[in-house]
Amino acid sequence: MSIKLSSSVPTDREVVLGILNNSEEALNKLYIGYYPMILQFILNNNGGEDDAKDVYQETIIVLYNKIKGGNFELSSKLKTYLYSVSRRIWLKKLTQQSKKTNNIADFEDVLIVDEDIEHHEQKDMQFDKMKVALESLGEPCKTIIEDFYIHSLSMHDICEKFGYTNTDNAKTQKYKCLQRLKKLFFQS
Amino acid sequence: MRNEIELEAIIEDYLNGKLTADEQKAFEQLRNNDPIVDHKVVAHKVFLESMKQYADILVLKEQMDAAHNQIDVAAISATVRPHSSKIVRIWRNNKSAIAVAASFLILAMVMLYSIQNQTKQDGSFEALNREVSQIKRSQNNLIRNINTKVQNTTITPAKFGGSGFAISSNGYILTNYHVIKDADSIYVQNSKGSSFKAKRFYTDPVNDIAILKINDNSFDHLGSLPYSIKKAGAGIGEIVYTLGYPKDDVVLGDGYISSKTGLNGDTLAYQVAIPVNPGNSGGPLLDNAGNIVGVINGKENKTDGAAFAVKSRYIVEAVNSIPQDSLSKRIPYGKRSLLQGLKRNKQVEKMQDYVFMIKVY
Repeated sequence: MSIKLSSSVPTDREVVLGILNNSEEALNKLYIGYYPMILQFILNNNGGEDDAKDVYQETIIVLYNKIKGGNFELSSKLKTYLYSVSRRIWLKKLTQQSKKTNNIADFEDVLIVDEDIEHHEQKDMQFDKMKVALESLGEPCKTIIEDFYIHSLSMHDICEKFGYTNTDNAKTQKYKCLQRLKKLFFQS
Repeated sequence: MRNEIELEAIIEDYLNGKLTADEQKAFEQLRNNDPIVDHKVVAHKVFLESMKQYADILVLKEQMDAAHNQIDVAAISATVRPHSSKIVRIWRNNKSAIAVAASFLILAMVMLYSIQNQTKQDGSFEALNREVSQIKRSQNNLIRNINTKVQNTTITPAKFGGSGFAISSNGYILTNYHVIKDADSIYVQNSKGSSFKAKRFYTDPVNDIAILKINDNSFDHLGSLPYSIKKAGAGIGEIVYTLGYPKDDVVLGDGYISSKTGLNGDTLAYQVAIPVNPGNSGGPLLDNAGNIVGVINGKENKTDGAAFAVKSRYIVEAVNSIPQDSLSKRIPYGKRSLLQGLKRNKQVEKMQDYVFMIKVY
């Protein structure tokens, strides 16, 4: 598997610059490049392919946030960092599922990444809160908010999409939805 | 309600930095004066950040899912999943450990190899030992060879065979038996170059001793012998010297007794560390005090500085076996030698008239 890894892995610098520039290509390379390593780790430690995907994506998010947060320093190889983060996340999951976590089969060097993981967990909680809040918002509010804030549609587009008679109506609707969402988000 | 919506829009524009400078200034004033507005701004800011984060991650997840779909998960997991074979699994899990173990193994092999090399050296050493014993055997032969050589010299005319020394003033010369063994005729020559015909008078093949009698009218009696025979054995380390005729002139050889036994533990002889050559056979071996301690009779060919000398005890036996009245001024036993206390060069000077070259034909 290391052969596969080395054939398609982007350089560490390439990844960092790519993420800072929101390059989808760099992300692709990164994702495909290191996936086998994590898959191997999870499969050899009581996990399945789906677990590997979840853990790996979470790991990439941790890296993404760290790079975007501007405090990412390459003190080690990116590979080692990714492996360590994945390992930590998977160990936590194993503990939560009260599966045995001793006798972990390791394939790479391991860094201590607890701080990054904690930071990530807080962010992840925010993410889940937002997700839950949006879910419980119901339609059409969820779509309106998502279109406006995530897909960056203009009020005009939203007006047309949802068939409001004028932009003001749309704005009013959005305002109501936003108030409810905020309420849900801050209360939860 | 209208105002609320407007306010919300303004707050959002403010947070997104979309207000003009004037509007921004006015809004900030409003915010400072109205805590409710300020609170709304802060809350909205947090919300917007969370929303942005959410949006970012959502986009990221979409991208990752897209990337994930490009991966042939099944194929990769087939290669990396825990192998049914335990050996492969162990190999994968412990690659680095195995690598370390392997390097140790290689190291061990290298060491083993070098040790083996060393044992090879041991082997050659043993072989050397064998060679040494071979040498010994060949040395045995060599002595015989020397003897044969001497025989040969008896066949070849005018070839000197060895050395000898006077044991009495009236022409009795002691030499090695092997020197004269097969001689047709024997001549002795003194240091001045005069030759005298001699005949064998007494032989002792076991001790390799022979006594010659000069039978020549031109031979004048010698004076009193300056040396005496030491009956007691000499110890290891005793400084000794010999005079002999490895060439036409007398040659001094200097050394020490290195062993109380001769070749292969031969108790009849000493081993002497002294440079001797063919022709030295039959020469006297003297200690510093001018006492004869032996007769040079051979050497080990392949070992440096190992010559052999017949012990003086057997000289005494030989001399005693001669009718005593035929010897005039015979060699004294155990008496103080006239050479004692003299320097080596003086000793040699006095000695050389009594040491003869034995020529056999």
